[in-house]
Amino acid sequence: MKVIKLTFTVLCIGLLSSSCKESFLDLKPLSNPTADNFKTTDDFELAVNGAYASLYTVYHPEGPVSYANEQMSDNAIMFNISGIQADKWQFKDYSLATANTMVYQFWQDCYKAIFNANIVLDRIESANVSATYKDGVKAQMMFLRALYYFNMVQLWGDLPIVTTPLTGEESYSVLRSPASAVYDQIKKDLIFAAEKLPLASAITMPGRVSKGAAQTLLGKVYLTLGDKTSAATVLKEVYNSNQYSLLTNYSDLWGPSVKNTKESIFEIQFLGGNASAPFSRYYQTFYPNNNFLGFYGGGMNQVTDDLYNEYETGDPRRDVSIALGYNNAGTFINQKYPIKWTDTKATQVGGNPLSNNNFMVLRYADALLLLTEATGDATYLNLVRTRAKLPKFGDATYPTAKYPTLDLAIEHERRTELAIEFNRWFDLKRTNRAIPVLTAKGKAITQMKLLWPIPQIVRTQNEAISQNAGY
Amino acid sequence: MMSPSLPYRRSWRVGLVFVLLCFSFAQIFGQGRSVTVTGKITDETGKGLPGASILVKSSKNGTISNQDGAYSISATENAVLVISSISFETQEVPVNSRSVIDVSMLPSNKTLNEVVVVGYGTQSKRAITSAVASVGFNEFKDRSFSNVTQSLAGKVAGVNITQAQGAPGSSPIIRIRGVSSITAGTNPLFVVDGVPLENFNLNLINPQDIESVDILKDASSAAIYGSRGANGVVLVTTKLGKPGKTNISAGYEYGIQTVTRKVPMMNAQQWIGYYIDAHNNAWVDQNPAVNKASDPNSVRPSTYRIPDDFINNPQQFGNGTDWQDVMFRVAPSHNAQLSVSGGTEKTQFLFSGAYLDQQAVLDENYYKRLSLRTNIKHKVSEKFSLGLNLGATTIFDRTEGTQGKSDVISLAIQSDPIFPVYNENGNLGYRDPNSVWSKYIAYNDLNLWHPYSLTRFYHKQNKSFNTLGTAFAEYSIIPDLKFRTSISGNLFNTRLNSYRVKNQGYGYSGLLPAEGNVQTSYMLNWLSENTLTYDKQFGDHSLNVLAGYSVQKQRDEFATVTSGSFPNDLVETLNAGVVTSGSSTASEWAMISYLARAQYNFQNKYFLTAAIRRDGSSRFGTDTRWGYFPSVSAGWMISDENFLKDVKFVSSLKLRASYGQTGNNQIPNYGAISLLGATNYVSGSALASGLTIGNIANTNLKWERTNQLNIGVDLRVLNDRIGLSAEFYNSVTRDMLLNVPVPDISGFSTQLTNIGRMQNRGVELNLNTKNTTGKVVWTTDFNFSTNRNKVLQLGPGNAPIIYTDYVVAVKTEVGQPISNFFGYVVDGVFRNQAAVDAAPHYSTTKPGDPIIRDVNGDGKITTDDRTTMGNFQPDFTAGLTNTVSFKGFDFSFLLQGTYGGEIVNQNFRYLGFWNNGRNMFASVDNRWRSEANPGDGTHFRATLGLTGLQDQFHSLWVEDASFTRLKNIRLSYTLPTSLTSKTPFRVARVYVNADNVYLWSKYTNYDPENTTYGASNYSSGGNGLNASGNAPNGAFIGVDYGSYPLPRVVTVGLKVDL
Repeated sequence: MKVIKLTFTVLCIGLLSSSCKESFLDLKPLSNPTADNFKTTDDFELAVNGAYASLYTVYHPEGPVSYANEQMSDNAIMFNISGIQADKWQFKDYSLATANTMVYQFWQDCYKAIFNANIVLDRIESANVSATYKDGVKAQMMFLRALYYFNMVQLWGDLPIVTTPLTGEESYSVLRSPASAVYDQIKKDLIFAAEKLPLASAITMPGRVSKGAAQTLLGKVYLTLGDKTSAATVLKEVYNSNQYSLLTNYSDLWGPSVKNTKESIFEIQFLGGNASAPFSRYYQTFYPNNNFLGFYGGGMNQVTDDLYNEYETGDPRRDVSIALGYNNAGTFINQKYPIKWTDTKATQVGGNPLSNNNFMVLRYADALLLLTEATGDATYLNLVRTRAKLPKFGDATYPTAKYPTLDLAIEHERRTELAIEFNRWFDLKRTNRAIPVLTAKGKAITQMKLLWPIPQIVRTQNEAISQNAGY
Repeated sequence: MMSPSLPYRRSWRVGLVFVLLCFSFAQIFGQGRSVTVTGKITDETGKGLPGASILVKSSKNGTISNQDGAYSISATENAVLVISSISFETQEVPVNSRSVIDVSMLPSNKTLNEVVVVGYGTQSKRAITSAVASVGFNEFKDRSFSNVTQSLAGKVAGVNITQAQGAPGSSPIIRIRGVSSITAGTNPLFVVDGVPLENFNLNLINPQDIESVDILKDASSAAIYGSRGANGVVLVTTKLGKPGKTNISAGYEYGIQTVTRKVPMMNAQQWIGYYIDAHNNAWVDQNPAVNKASDPNSVRPSTYRIPDDFINNPQQFGNGTDWQDVMFRVAPSHNAQLSVSGGTEKTQFLFSGAYLDQQAVLDENYYKRLSLRTNIKHKVSEKFSLGLNLGATTIFDRTEGTQGKSDVISLAIQSDPIFPVYNENGNLGYRDPNSVWSKYIAYNDLNLWHPYSLTRFYHKQNKSFNTLGTAFAEYSIIPDLKFRTSISGNLFNTRLNSYRVKNQGYGYSGLLPAEGNVQTSYMLNWLSENTLTYDKQFGDHSLNVLAGYSVQKQRDEFATVTSGSFPNDLVETLNAGVVTSGSSTASEWAMISYLARAQYNFQNKYFLTAAIRRDGSSRFGTDTRWGYFPSVSAGWMISDENFLKDVKFVSSLKLRASYGQTGNNQIPNYGAISLLGATNYVSGSALASGLTIGNIANTNLKWERTNQLNIGVDLRVLNDRIGLSAEFYNSVTRDMLLNVPVPDISGFSTQLTNIGRMQNRGVELNLNTKNTTGKVVWTTDFNFSTNRNKVLQLGPGNAPIIYTDYVVAVKTEVGQPISNFFGYVVDGVFRNQAAVDAAPHYSTTKPGDPIIRDVNGDGKITTDDRTTMGNFQPDFTAGLTNTVSFKGFDFSFLLQGTYGGEIVNQNFRYLGFWNNGRNMFASVDNRWRSEANPGDGTHFRATLGLTGLQDQFHSLWVEDASFTRLKNIRLSYTLPTSLTSKTPFRVARVYVNADNVYLWSKYTNYDPENTTYGASNYSSGGNGLNASGNAPNGAFIGVDYGSYPLPRVVTVGLKVDL
């Protein structure tokens, strides 16, 4: 007994000497906030910005939209790109394996982006914030979710539709829905967004989604679904909204300090000069893989001669968009690369230029070309051509022999106007032109290659997930 | 008179206790006539035993035997001498008016009375019922390694110690009885003088200050460390002086290190041939109908162009530069030691200081360590004693080349041999615009990462400061009941300064601006521990009960600042430039523990131990943070039974059995919590702060638990000439802390969950023999261990876990050991088109490409043809030590080996096939060139295009990791007393020590022990992932992605005692 008493006494001394409380073990992270703070509008602003930041991965210069639109089309090649080259080249030669690590990475990135929007939508439902604020946040998140799903459905076709945060267990029961259901979800989100979002002129935080952005994207979605009437209606609203206009010169669109212009409808925001800020990576990634500027370029989206030659003689857009090559210690290397996002004065840290250039996802010229596509009226297309100081479609000097129909004229115009802006492959798919155009250029494209495979790992984890035909 | 099994620290202390307890007797009986006693202390073989302590019982009078074991002491004629020495049983000899007393000492292990540190106390070896390995100072005293565990490699069964990187100060990877976890950390817990320290760097403790290293291998012994015991426990105990004459010991050693194995790389001529082939083949592949290998550059796009000099005059390059010769050097080291130890019955102390100054074999790299220690114990009264162990260590080092492919050593190997060490301007490389070599800038696929551009034009220094202190007080409340309290602190600071000189002498792959960086880290760990020990003998029963309580907390901080835009290279501190980025982070963990243990024995023949610990940790979910870790073990000294007493053949025989449960807590500090990470956006020209969720919360997260059964037998026969210990264990880890893959549509790829089970079972054998005794003493120690690791259960549906990192894939699946290497099997090279057409092949395959085996036999080569190609875990490991002593000479050598494991030579990814013009393994010169010239049938054709799955992870990357190494040879000579007696030195000894002497291995890279990724480590706020963030480090053990060779180290030294 004595021993027990003494033990007890000693342990008590111990308890007193060191604060033995459960709270001693309740250590909150010191360098990360935790997920239970979603309460005030300030909290939600942080989460909303986080959801916008997913644009950085989806529209990364080496992201899914870039690989699909530029590498899988006739616009660009890769040269000495770093990383797992074999997996990257599978996009180029249409030999995507189900084990392709890039495809899997993109799948993860896309669903992470969806999650970042879904979590805000989920938490704001029960939050004690004003109804107006709630609708505004929801509309923005729905736009982002629609944008991500729109890219994904074009890449993979049928998709698991996730609209709420899922636990690991719940996510096993969500299987692929038909592409049409995905499009229904996209339309639903965009209609809500277009209704609740303010006009561009009423946006106080540059870069936030506007009504016009939701409408333009909705127009593109309708066109993709073949619904030209609805597309025309919604794009006309954009046209008539008086919110957007073409800049005087094509070259005015580009430059590290050109941001959120009148022509910009939805634009990803970057901030250069600081390694810990989200700086722009297009400049470096699209530079040839050589360090003639003191940093290593990424060699991504090196321009094909085919794209270079697509420009009509005298088209000022060509030399604004594409460099012929570079000078390396006195030797000129003929390797064409995109220069729309050039920032020669960018601060360099760790061999990386911290560029400032924004990236436009949707711009007015795009909307005008879509409107011509929806209406069959060349007026809007000709606005774009006039800005480029080129003859209008229908004019005698228009290269009619080459582009005899309006459809071909639109295809040509979109390719040159929107070169390397991540549109080409989706445009060709939307207009059912991918196979004829690319086959004519000797590419081994087939119907099944128009969709990416569902990554092998996804199907290993959940065998109930189906695979795309042909893979 | 006294129980020989009292749990005091070492046998000499048992002697001390005798002295104390007999103190009163001396007082009572008074003093007799004084005589001078001389004599000789010998060991069991009759050899003089130097350094033995001779004390007159109950007095302050003591001495130490000289080199030949002789001593002289004055004592009263009725006094009792207490003679003690490490590793020998303490003896008491009454003087009985004799003037010459020779004493023959018995090794304490002979009677199993040696004391073993077991955590929160000690135990006599006889009473040990679990699996504990004890290594004393003598085993590693002359070894050259800065980390004591490096000296234990090959010496302890069941403890696999591998040197992943050969850089000075690089700690080995220690795996005790296999790998018990997939995601969580697998490093054992280190306990230094009673302070448990996770992932502690033992380089911070000078091996010369260490008295013993005790390794708790089974769950029963480690369970007293509860949630941190599952990977085993390494207990390090530092020295303390002995009562008696003050011993001053000094030593100096000089060493040289050399790289003995180089990686055979192409010379300039071979490489140019490869370069030309690769370009021509790829060019022809582009359009076989039109393009010809003979086409001039003018018709080729830049990708396919070949420098004219390669075609017209390749001889001008000669054999070129061997970059390994450039970066490696013969490196000297100096190590000086001084220690002063001694004391009285009341106070014992040790002061020591040591300075190690070691150059590395890698250019400009070095390792300097100053270690200071003071250990003091003082008895205030019969009941109350105090002590302090304080060690302070400072390390200044520059250590590079250990980080794999993009670090100096690997980059130098990748550099093309055509470039000279210095160009005509005295600069390093072809990027010097004023050099004739600058014409090669036009070629994107020529590579030079000159080692000097990273060592001499990139200045770096790392400074580390560590202080580890423990202050303790012991109080005897009543006889047999002792209270002990201690406060410990470990403060560790580092500071890494670096400055990259502008353009790096034109020797790097690009011209980079000057950049400076400072990184600092801080770690404070404190521990408060209180224990109560009750130790009592009742007749034949002996009982020792321990109860305790401890609280521990650690905080880590890290900060980094980078500056750019330096105007010139004159000032390298950050103030000279413009700060471009900076960050700081901090993290904490805390733990509260209760522990209890009872050790009981009957007649010193039947032993029983039971222990339990309860741990609460901040790392785990609020609902599940407390856990119990019980254990029980029993032993039976059969040889003491009557039926064996008369069997003279058997000296001793003991059976042991134990069962226990331990835990693994090595996950990130906030692993259970859903964390938000900064994911900023921008609005206009302003930063818009953003947050996103980084991981899924798991409030039920708890420990990984390992249950282990251990059965052991210790047998000594033929008058202790032969000793055999054998162990069998079976452990099952459950609730594994696994980053379980979840469907990515959740927004996450993994969730840290307790799921799955894994088994490790194995056998360990230790055999030691005394082959000869007498003038020549020859002993042999042999150990053997084998472990089988098997995954029993994984996440939902037992889905296999595949981690991929730079092409190499490792697969963990049920029924297999963890991390099998997973890829294609290559069955040679296609000789011609007919052979390609005749076999299943990948679409792009051409003659000269690899024959990929159609593993599933479906006639197609797809990713389903990947299969298991090996595993890093060896089938068995063994170590053999032979020691021969003759007069003053001691000679020993250690052979160690591991057999049956595989290693991935991940360097194949850039040295085995075309990778943008890097240099190649010399063996690639035997490649397929044409049907008529098919090479050795193993190496593929050269091409930029990498057709036919050349660049996939396949069986050519996987090599046999078996090796036998002559790990150590030692020869020492103790000067005879006839010489030393004329000097002030009592003992003088010279020695030669050689480590990593010779390696027998088929591995084609530096060393089969090399692995770029060590054990997963979540300490100091780390995330435990490898450099690319693709997998937990531990999953890629056995993958060599560019490593530092293990140099041969030869040291000569002199040690003297005053």
